Amino acid sequence: MATVSFQQASRIYPKAERPAVDSLDLQIADGEFLVLVGPSGCGKSTSLRMLAGLEEVDSGSIVIGDKDVTDAPPKDRDIAMVFQNYALYPHMTVEENMGFALKLAGIGKDERATRVREAAKILDLEPYLSRRPKALSGGQRQRVAMGRAIVRNPQVFLMDEPLSNLDAKLRVQTRTQIAALQRRLGTTTVYVTHDQVEAMTMGDRVAVLKDGVLQQCDTPGALYDRPANVFVAGFIGSPAMNLVTGDAVDGGVQVGSAVLPVPRDQLTRAAASNGKVTVGFRPESVRLAGPGEGLPVRVDVVEQLGSDAFLYTSLADAPDDVLHSADLVVRTEPRTPVTTGQQLWLSADRGALHVFDAQTQQRVD
Amino acid sequence: MATLAPPVPDAGRDPSPAAPTAHRRRRGGRRAGKPGPVTYTLLTLTTLVSIFPLYWTLVAGSHTNAEIAATPPPFLPNASLFDNFKLALEQAPIGKAILNSILVSGAITVGTVLFCTLAGFAFAKLAFRGKGVLLALVIGTMMVPTQLSVIPLFMMIAELQWVNQLQAVILPTLVSAFGVFFMRQYLISSLPNELLEAGRVDGASTFRIFWSIVVPVARPAMAVLAMLTFLTAWNEFFWPLIALTTANPTVQVALAGLGSGYVPQQSVIMAGTLLGTLPVLVVFTILGKQIVGGIMQGAVKG
Repeated sequence: MATVSFQQASRIYPKAERPAVDSLDLQIADGEFLVLVGPSGCGKSTSLRMLAGLEEVDSGSIVIGDKDVTDAPPKDRDIAMVFQNYALYPHMTVEENMGFALKLAGIGKDERATRVREAAKILDLEPYLSRRPKALSGGQRQRVAMGRAIVRNPQVFLMDEPLSNLDAKLRVQTRTQIAALQRRLGTTTVYVTHDQVEAMTMGDRVAVLKDGVLQQCDTPGALYDRPANVFVAGFIGSPAMNLVTGDAVDGGVQVGSAVLPVPRDQLTRAAASNGKVTVGFRPESVRLAGPGEGLPVRVDVVEQLGSDAFLYTSLADAPDDVLHSADLVVRTEPRTPVTTGQQLWLSADRGALHVFDAQTQQRVD
Repeated sequence: MATLAPPVPDAGRDPSPAAPTAHRRRRGGRRAGKPGPVTYTLLTLTTLVSIFPLYWTLVAGSHTNAEIAATPPPFLPNASLFDNFKLALEQAPIGKAILNSILVSGAITVGTVLFCTLAGFAFAKLAFRGKGVLLALVIGTMMVPTQLSVIPLFMMIAELQWVNQLQAVILPTLVSAFGVFFMRQYLISSLPNELLEAGRVDGASTFRIFWSIVVPVARPAMAVLAMLTFLTAWNEFFWPLIALTTANPTVQVALAGLGSGYVPQQSVIMAGTLLGTLPVLVVFTILGKQIVGGIMQGAVKG
């Protein structure tokens, strides 16, 4: 068990124009489950590999517990890693795979067998201990990879998209199992994924990265309720937050023919750089208003999910201006009598609006 | 068409409507993946053509010279085989030569496989300065003909006083550029980086990773390289002829000294050749079993 801290850690690949990870500052508490999330190429895997010692740290430092491990080889870091493609040793049985690290650490045969069996019991792998990886299903291989990590009882677990090779149903199931296992073991865990649903459901805290730069690190709830910038607002949540940009006018932001109400001082600060303001609102915080009230939209697609329905709409009076036209998603009660092509009026509560500076993309409160 | 299809175990028992689909799919699979009569005929012919020289060696080695020269020639082995063996063993030190060849080829094979796997692993998976240039240099040596190095090589072994000693034949071929390249290509395609990283995270040193992860994965390629190297070393004639004397020869050098009278004694030569080929056949049988594909299956999801 240990804390982990990235201090201004950067990784610049040779011949690259910009750093893959740019001055990452991140403090991970003892026993915390931290998820690194972002689109592909955002530097999340590189950050994890830097922590594992598989990638050089070009500047800054990384500390595990109270030990600076910036230049330490992986074996001196007391970490265990679960790889995206599991990386099981093909010529070893499940038992040998799980016990390999212990064998290298010079742990005796009997203790090794005991520890492997304990881990196998937790992961339901006991019947498969003498099998080779090729005789296992994808889910079982994934569990062996987990077992190989937990058998070592390391200070930190590192997981690099461990669920991305499983089918959708198994992924959801394994997601909860991993989260429960981590709570039970209480081991500090850094988990990389590109799936924001995985990030939101598993993490104690979630760190959102983009282009190698940390955008925001907070609890899932806080990320959802108070995204720090336009990127986080659009990335977290499914369907994504509706984001529209318009001119600051008296009383709010002009979008099409409607004005979204934004308090005066917030508006002033948000419009300070170029007079334009980006406003965001979640699909579920939009209400259908009476004709003529609020934002006029045209329904393009209706998605009935049973539990609720999503309306994919576009601004009815959108001018031919990319900045002013936007697709808006609305969540409504299921079986709402709405048809494609119909015109609706939307309104959002003042408190449900997220306001961003259109120039800096930063949140304004 | 129905007679051509392989028996489908479930077809008769499964009355569900899905059965015909499954049947059709299997037939499609057969056409794409499994060999038909034409393939078998071609393979049989190729096998016969390949086996014939060995068979003829056996037939010719078991007759007298006069019997082989008869028209039509004999087609079945005869009882004179052991007489011819005896003659061959009297005419040249074939026993010693076989022992020498086993030593020389064995040492060269072990050395080549070990060093080429080590070098191939380094070139395929390790990062070090000058890797590209070094690899180009290694491959470049393949363009230098052997004949060119014979005189300097002989001067070197003469200097070391190794003339007529086995190490003179073993040392110069202990590693081969082809082998290094061969192992490198195999490891690049068959050894995922994640396996090495998993090893590093598990706490293995580079040598331990080589021994416990790379070697098991590389085994099929190592077996192929071992077989090729052993055959090449066993058949090598030019350099052993120069470096060794007829009193201490390898098999090929000893065979060259057989039946070298006024009329070449074909039967004795063939009997000697048969003796010299037997160890190769044994090695082939052993290593053939090692070449098992699919060892990588299941290592990484793919």
